Amino acid sequence: MKVRSSSKKLNLNPSGDPWSPWLHIDIALVLSSIALAITGAFMVYSATRGNNPELYDRSYLNRQLLFVGFGVAAMIGAAYVPYRRIRELAPMIFWSGMVLLILVLTPIGVERNGTRAWFEFGSFQLQPSELCKIAYIFMMANYLERFNGRLDIRQLGNALLIAVVPIGLILLQTDVGTALVFIAITMGMLLIAGAQGKHILLLTLVGIFLATVVWSSGLLQDYQQDRLTSFIDPESSQTEAAYQQTQAQIAIGSGGLTGQGFGQGQQTRGEFVPEQHTDFIFSVIGEELGFVGALIVLGLFAILMWRCMRAARKSPDLLGTLISCGVMTLFAFQMFQSVGMTLGIMPITGIPIPFVSYGGSSAISSFVGIGLVLNVHMRRYQVVR
Amino acid sequence: MTPVSKYLPQSHRLRLAILAAVAVSLFVPLVARLWYLQVIKETAFIERAADNTTETIIELAPRGRILDAEGRVLVDNRASIVVTIDKEEMATVGENDLGDLFFDLATEISRSGSLTKVSQIETAYKSNRYGPFAEVPVVQDISKELQIYLAEYSYRFPGVNTTVTTVRDYPYGTLAAHILGYVGLLSEDELSSVAGKSKTYLANDEIGKSGIELFYEDALRGTPGSKVVTVDKFNNILEINEETLAKAGSDVQLTINIDLQALAEQELERGLNLARQQPTKFEEEGVVIFNAPAGAMVVMDPRDGSILAMASHPTFDPELFVSGISQDDFDELTDPGNFLPLLNRTIQGQYPPGSTFKPFTAYAALDTGLIGSRGILGIDSMFYDEGIFIIPNCEGGTCQFQNAGEAAYGDVDLRLALTYSSDVYFYNLAASFDILPGFDLESVQVAANSFGYGVRTGVTLADEGSGRMPTPASRREAYRQNPEAFLTGQWLTGDTLNTSIGQGDVLATPLQIANAYSALVNGGTLYAPNLGQRVLNPITGDTEVEFAPRILRDIYFPEAFSEPILDGLAGVTTWRSDIGTEGTAYSAFKNFPHEQWPVSGKTGTSEKQVESGLIADYGLFVGWGPNPEPEYVAVVILEEAGFGGQVAAPVIRKYFERIANGTVPRYLNQDELDELARQKVKEDRLNRINGTEEPNEEGEGTP
Repeated sequence: MKVRSSSKKLNLNPSGDPWSPWLHIDIALVLSSIALAITGAFMVYSATRGNNPELYDRSYLNRQLLFVGFGVAAMIGAAYVPYRRIRELAPMIFWSGMVLLILVLTPIGVERNGTRAWFEFGSFQLQPSELCKIAYIFMMANYLERFNGRLDIRQLGNALLIAVVPIGLILLQTDVGTALVFIAITMGMLLIAGAQGKHILLLTLVGIFLATVVWSSGLLQDYQQDRLTSFIDPESSQTEAAYQQTQAQIAIGSGGLTGQGFGQGQQTRGEFVPEQHTDFIFSVIGEELGFVGALIVLGLFAILMWRCMRAARKSPDLLGTLISCGVMTLFAFQMFQSVGMTLGIMPITGIPIPFVSYGGSSAISSFVGIGLVLNVHMRRYQVVR
Repeated sequence: MTPVSKYLPQSHRLRLAILAAVAVSLFVPLVARLWYLQVIKETAFIERAADNTTETIIELAPRGRILDAEGRVLVDNRASIVVTIDKEEMATVGENDLGDLFFDLATEISRSGSLTKVSQIETAYKSNRYGPFAEVPVVQDISKELQIYLAEYSYRFPGVNTTVTTVRDYPYGTLAAHILGYVGLLSEDELSSVAGKSKTYLANDEIGKSGIELFYEDALRGTPGSKVVTVDKFNNILEINEETLAKAGSDVQLTINIDLQALAEQELERGLNLARQQPTKFEEEGVVIFNAPAGAMVVMDPRDGSILAMASHPTFDPELFVSGISQDDFDELTDPGNFLPLLNRTIQGQYPPGSTFKPFTAYAALDTGLIGSRGILGIDSMFYDEGIFIIPNCEGGTCQFQNAGEAAYGDVDLRLALTYSSDVYFYNLAASFDILPGFDLESVQVAANSFGYGVRTGVTLADEGSGRMPTPASRREAYRQNPEAFLTGQWLTGDTLNTSIGQGDVLATPLQIANAYSALVNGGTLYAPNLGQRVLNPITGDTEVEFAPRILRDIYFPEAFSEPILDGLAGVTTWRSDIGTEGTAYSAFKNFPHEQWPVSGKTGTSEKQVESGLIADYGLFVGWGPNPEPEYVAVVILEEAGFGGQVAAPVIRKYFERIANGTVPRYLNQDELDELARQKVKEDRLNRINGTEEPNEEGEGTP
């Protein structure tokens, strides 16, 4: 294998060597995502191993490590084929995803905690909405690139028509959290794709209006409303949601500066925080690793997001920029929302922390996202047209 | 800086920067919040986490037992299965479903034999005694079968559990109920008063409410154990951090002898039954009735002040209080129409002592010198009792006093005055105290006080009555408070006269009388009566605390005083061949084994105006023996029952006769019961070997 990087200004790959882009791979992005995933897997272990030292339950750890393995493989796969070459596949991938979102609403899908969002294969569950996030980013990037960075109202409308499909289907699962993720991705990508300021403002206002209508229409179940409001004053509320947030804050607060140590969190051991291995995994981090550990985890996210933004800036084309920004927005919003709800400053929406929370669909889709950004980043020197 | 890709126009770089700025800004609230939770509020949250994960489990300790003087168990413990409802689990259940559950539960429990109302369960469940997460006991003492049934069909009864607690058990049934008392749930007041005691109390703990259970609460109560544990969300115990074991309460051994107690209760009841059979009498003053609804009897050992038996009629079944008495039952026990079965008349009933008081008036006369070589009468000098006493220079009120039954006894000295119970003789003494210069008009009161009248005896039971010795000062005070009840606030000579024969405003509890007589017959030592003998370790049986006799005072009571008084009283139960006369209780003690068990006594009768036109007499008798060093002093009072000599003296006679003849029915102690059981097993085996059908034996066992 020949190494050639004599001149970074020569954005050429004349040899056509398929391996040469891998020389430009973003190690920091790879390492930070894997570091997050490994940290997450061990926190999942702490949250699920039980209290009997002789019979520690390793099944969650093993499965999560397996998911991470799959994820890394999927990441390499997503980085392998040049993104421009597979862009034609974007609509097909996207609409296949939409078919899955429809199928999951049928009796084929499985309902958990009031949300119908899973397929079940033996002991594994697949959450199609997780995978659709990446398909959606790819689809939107592919669609928005053609307007060369300036969207008029009609093009914006068309883009929104695409956006409405997955958001609508996911709302039908009553998965408000994931729907919000899609909205965030949409807004982020529309910004980069060149939507005009006034349109974005208008969109925001319409969004607020629609949210208000939905809120007061009674479409939401009481428990859903509770989950969205209880964070304001969890102590005074008697709901399960308020209990969850209160307990999570007790866990995090009692972690203090340096934490109680891995496997030593009393709240975690007593399983006081419901869903502590999935959506509320940050409570385990806060309790056992403390302020320092929590900052390190957030720091890894910061590196991840920085590298995504860097890839977006360095991308040779708008497509790559849009993909990177979409993925960055996805991670930024999910991280903020999920950590925020655990800390009690955001409503409970039930979405996992990318890489960290237990769950195969989330792990794989997150790594595929990283794979796409890597794909963009390592092909930054390839001339497009 | 690496150059930005050439395709990007300037505006896009701005847009990227905006997106980046938004992303960066997201970290600000997260880090700030983390700082707030983990650094600023760390301590508070550590405390709350500890609240969450550590729990203190209280393990209840069994109460100590109560034993009689021979160690026979009067109050024991037994296991009781209690149905509880988990309030936390029920919090989410609707009112209707809760009602259905209560109905189903009541149906099942009633079906199993212990009839239970829905309202009973509901009231127990809604009691504000329990917190929102408590297991609320709703039905007590269910059968083992029902416990198994409830466990099997637990899906029908969500949140319903059963636990086992210990409750009080009374092997001798109602015997000694007033002495033993009962336990009940702590009231709010009691809860605050026991705060800080070394044996911790919980809100739903039981505490002694009356009798020995109340007085020896501190000894009887077990020391609850506690476990500090780490729990998970579902209250599963993860580890035990700290453990103190529960310690059973100490046993308390009483001075009561259950055989003597049973006999006292039996004879008291028999006496009341007999009194009730007397025909209604029609006299000038009104109709005399014999309802005999209630009475009391105390037996003491005058040598050390210990109480051997204490009977109060009507009585109650302490079993009613086990696991909580119903309001209906409690109302019945406290209804004056039922003559207050809960009242321990031996210490709470206050009666005019009547003629039983005369020996103390005699003592006052001897002690002050009113009778004696320099007094108005010598000890043996005769006084002519013409049946009527007229107060010299009478100033108002009643001036003419008569003997009971208008009898005239003729010449009487101090001894005969006691033997006959001559009122006039004592009126004469009283009037002298009142009139003669140099004598204290309150001499009788002073003497009576020194024998314990008018003050609590200090018996080891709560809520004792103090009786009453009226004085001019107390009369003034009573008049000031309630002018309608008295003609005048002034103390008249007639009042002194009434006081001298234990009438008027004089009141005493049966125990006070017994205690005063104990001092009278033991040579002048006044004890505070003891009911508790010792506190025993429940496991080893070793004595932890011994309660010695408590001497209140030694009364100046020389032979010169005691001889004539006791001699006079000895005549009460006998026929005096030397002067050919009989005492007031002679007929009751006819054919009593006087030679082997010399007995003395004093009768008393006090009149009570039941309502206008209706008269009833309280019959009293105090007896003691065997003379000259008595081991038993017994007092009996029968309310609305007739004359002391006729109705009360026979009760004591029968009682003492059993003791004298050694025929007190005996209850077996545990060892003897065990031996009996062993023998029975042996016999059964023999029978089986011989192939004979076991005859149907009933009524065998303890008397």
